[in-house]
Amino acid sequence: MSYRKFGPNDVVLNTMRAHPRVNFFIYNSKVYHNDTPHLSGAFSNDILNVSGIVSGAFNLFEYNIDRSGSTAVNDDESVTTTGPNPPIVPYITKDSARASFKTVGATTYNNEFAYGDTLYRAYPLTASITREFMSPRAGQRAHLIDTESGEVTLNAGAPAYPHFYSLKNRLNNYQYMSEHYAISSSFNDGWDKNDQKVNMISIPSIFYGSKIDPGSVSLKWYFTGSLIGELRDSKENGELVEITGTNTGSTAGVVLYNEGIILLTGSWALNPTALGLLDNGTIDRPSWIYFGAGTNDGVNPTSASPSFPTASFNMSFNGTTETQTYTMFARAGTGQANYSNNPTFLEYGQDQIETTGSQIYEENPIRKIKNTASSSFATQEADFKRQVYVSRIAIYDKNKNLIGVATLADPVLKEEQQDYTFKIKLDI
Amino acid sequence: MPLSYEPLNVNTDITTTKTLLHEVIPLTGTIVSGTYNDANIKNFSHGMFQSVYDYPYLSSSANHIFDLTCGYDESSPLSSSTATQNSKKINLYNQFSQVLLGYTGSNNVVRLFESDLKLDQTGSMKEVVILSFSRLLTKDQIKQGTVNLKLGIGSWATPDSSTISLQDLAAATNGEGTTNTVGGDYGILFDSTASLASETPSSSHGAIFYQSGIAILSSSVFAGIADFNSGSIVSGSGPNALSFDQSLVSASISGTCDALRHRTVNLSYNNSTEINSTIYFCRMPVNKFNYSSNPTYTSGSKIRVKNNSTDLPATYATTVGLYNARNELIATAKLSEPLKKTPQNELTIRVRLDY
Repeated sequence: MSYRKFGPNDVVLNTMRAHPRVNFFIYNSKVYHNDTPHLSGAFSNDILNVSGIVSGAFNLFEYNIDRSGSTAVNDDESVTTTGPNPPIVPYITKDSARASFKTVGATTYNNEFAYGDTLYRAYPLTASITREFMSPRAGQRAHLIDTESGEVTLNAGAPAYPHFYSLKNRLNNYQYMSEHYAISSSFNDGWDKNDQKVNMISIPSIFYGSKIDPGSVSLKWYFTGSLIGELRDSKENGELVEITGTNTGSTAGVVLYNEGIILLTGSWALNPTALGLLDNGTIDRPSWIYFGAGTNDGVNPTSASPSFPTASFNMSFNGTTETQTYTMFARAGTGQANYSNNPTFLEYGQDQIETTGSQIYEENPIRKIKNTASSSFATQEADFKRQVYVSRIAIYDKNKNLIGVATLADPVLKEEQQDYTFKIKLDI
Repeated sequence: MPLSYEPLNVNTDITTTKTLLHEVIPLTGTIVSGTYNDANIKNFSHGMFQSVYDYPYLSSSANHIFDLTCGYDESSPLSSSTATQNSKKINLYNQFSQVLLGYTGSNNVVRLFESDLKLDQTGSMKEVVILSFSRLLTKDQIKQGTVNLKLGIGSWATPDSSTISLQDLAAATNGEGTTNTVGGDYGILFDSTASLASETPSSSHGAIFYQSGIAILSSSVFAGIADFNSGSIVSGSGPNALSFDQSLVSASISGTCDALRHRTVNLSYNNSTEINSTIYFCRMPVNKFNYSSNPTYTSGSKIRVKNNSTDLPATYATTVGLYNARNELIATAKLSEPLKKTPQNELTIRVRLDY
């Protein structure tokens, strides 16, 4: 068997960028990812076992389908289960490799577990969108008390909403895209986000890939099933501009495309009817700061006013995924690759060995190649042609180890004078 | 771009480790038969095995948990040209025994399953039920000594009135109680009440192949049960109530599998996944890494963390970069919190790379 070496222009590495559409529908404190319904099973109200904790979630591995109960691993690795269909749980033994679960902190791992102890955790591992409503002021801080003098400094202690504080640098950094990112600004009538109510929606990157595609974000506010407001980032600069509602053209918030975070500050009423959108049972008129109420934020039919189910929300955007693709051009030139090692390439019934003995081994030198040329007539055999049917292409590394095989959907007839190039793509 | 690189000594600074991650896999018997009215059982037109899922298999969330089939060797007294699916049952037995045990003797005869670890063609199990667990659940291998298969051996109407627990009591992760074959290590499934001191055929009822994730159950488990199989679910011909042997002869493969599922009370085992790691000990000697190229390190041409010119410089390590021989960055490791480094201390940061 002969090998053909790839030339300098025969192997190309490309990146294929795709923008998968992602949709979340939020209703009555349930989140539906890409319109996937919540299925109930024989043992659990949600077979993915995630709606009790978080909803609209990715369930890594999707292991514990329709499970109910608990599984505990004891230090001697014996197992204690409860419930009618106990779940699968992973466990690990503490040893010198010091491998652990991420949920076990370094201090806990060092102090609370001896070598040989068993650490276990629970499935499912999930990721879901969450909403954080920062009210009455996103920049609110606790009072700082000097323990020696007893002096109290107002609004100088730990932040009430640390997520907002951690985003301040990023928000100011994106000011080059839009002034609306700025924490405080004199633009238009001016604002200071520290003093505003902020509605923050966090989207884990597993939903969107490397970044949210600018220009693809759409937020829709529904009241009793009717659209009362829509925001779009049509300028592709992160500004979420109202295109449907009572204040069209106004910017109600910004999108952090790389971080997967949406911040909404638009507090104008989208509808005059007040409804329950807060977890303390009070009511207020629909506005963008209440968008997504019920998204794993503690607002639910029990904690909110009975009118809460009249609100529903839709959030959609495109993600960005990048897939590296090897493209290889395998060339079978004129006069090349015209022989096959397939035993059926030779005529049937010929002796392979001419002579063999204790000191000699000679193969038959005049074995004939099977003529596979097609004749136009039923009773006539066509003249012999050197031709092969290419059915697969093997890729070898520099040490001639087989590392991949590309199989053609149909064998390709290659005659001696023909020149073929096979294009092989490999996603990595 | 760092100011300087600290070379890693391959003999003293790099080591490899292997960690075993396990999962407890409890499979409730009612899942196998009952809960979903067999909507989670897939039968195929070839009739050679049936697949069991953990949820109705038409749902995209369903996971395949194991395949179930049965068979016998051609030398079994049950083998007969008049038996239902006779050739398929023989072929299945041979296929599994060939893959798991290989051949023996100069005539390259396929080995028979044995109820001991001797592989001497004694104590053969010629009539068997085969459970082939999904790789999704067995991962790298089933952990030795953790298999527990509880079966009902009562009457057809009340199979749970009497049960037997089959466990690989003698097997251990150090290789004890197992034998290595072409299909990997295998251990014996004993009646849980058996005394390990006597590896007698009366207490061993099957074998478990750990790496292949296949359990073989002998017909001896169900010996003495007159109505192992009810006529109502038998696809082939025969009397209404069948013993295990009669079921293996008269019922179809799926019919016998249905009967076994009817008698499955619980099934559990632990799996193992090997996590290989390379550990890099990244050393920060006393006189190095006391300066940072971070733009915030200086302010007005002065080192920010020094108040007086006599103060010692200090840095806060936040990230470790791993570079290849051409000084190209190939990985970074982040610390959960910055570590203070001064000319008076040395640090060794242990970076673990799992793959």
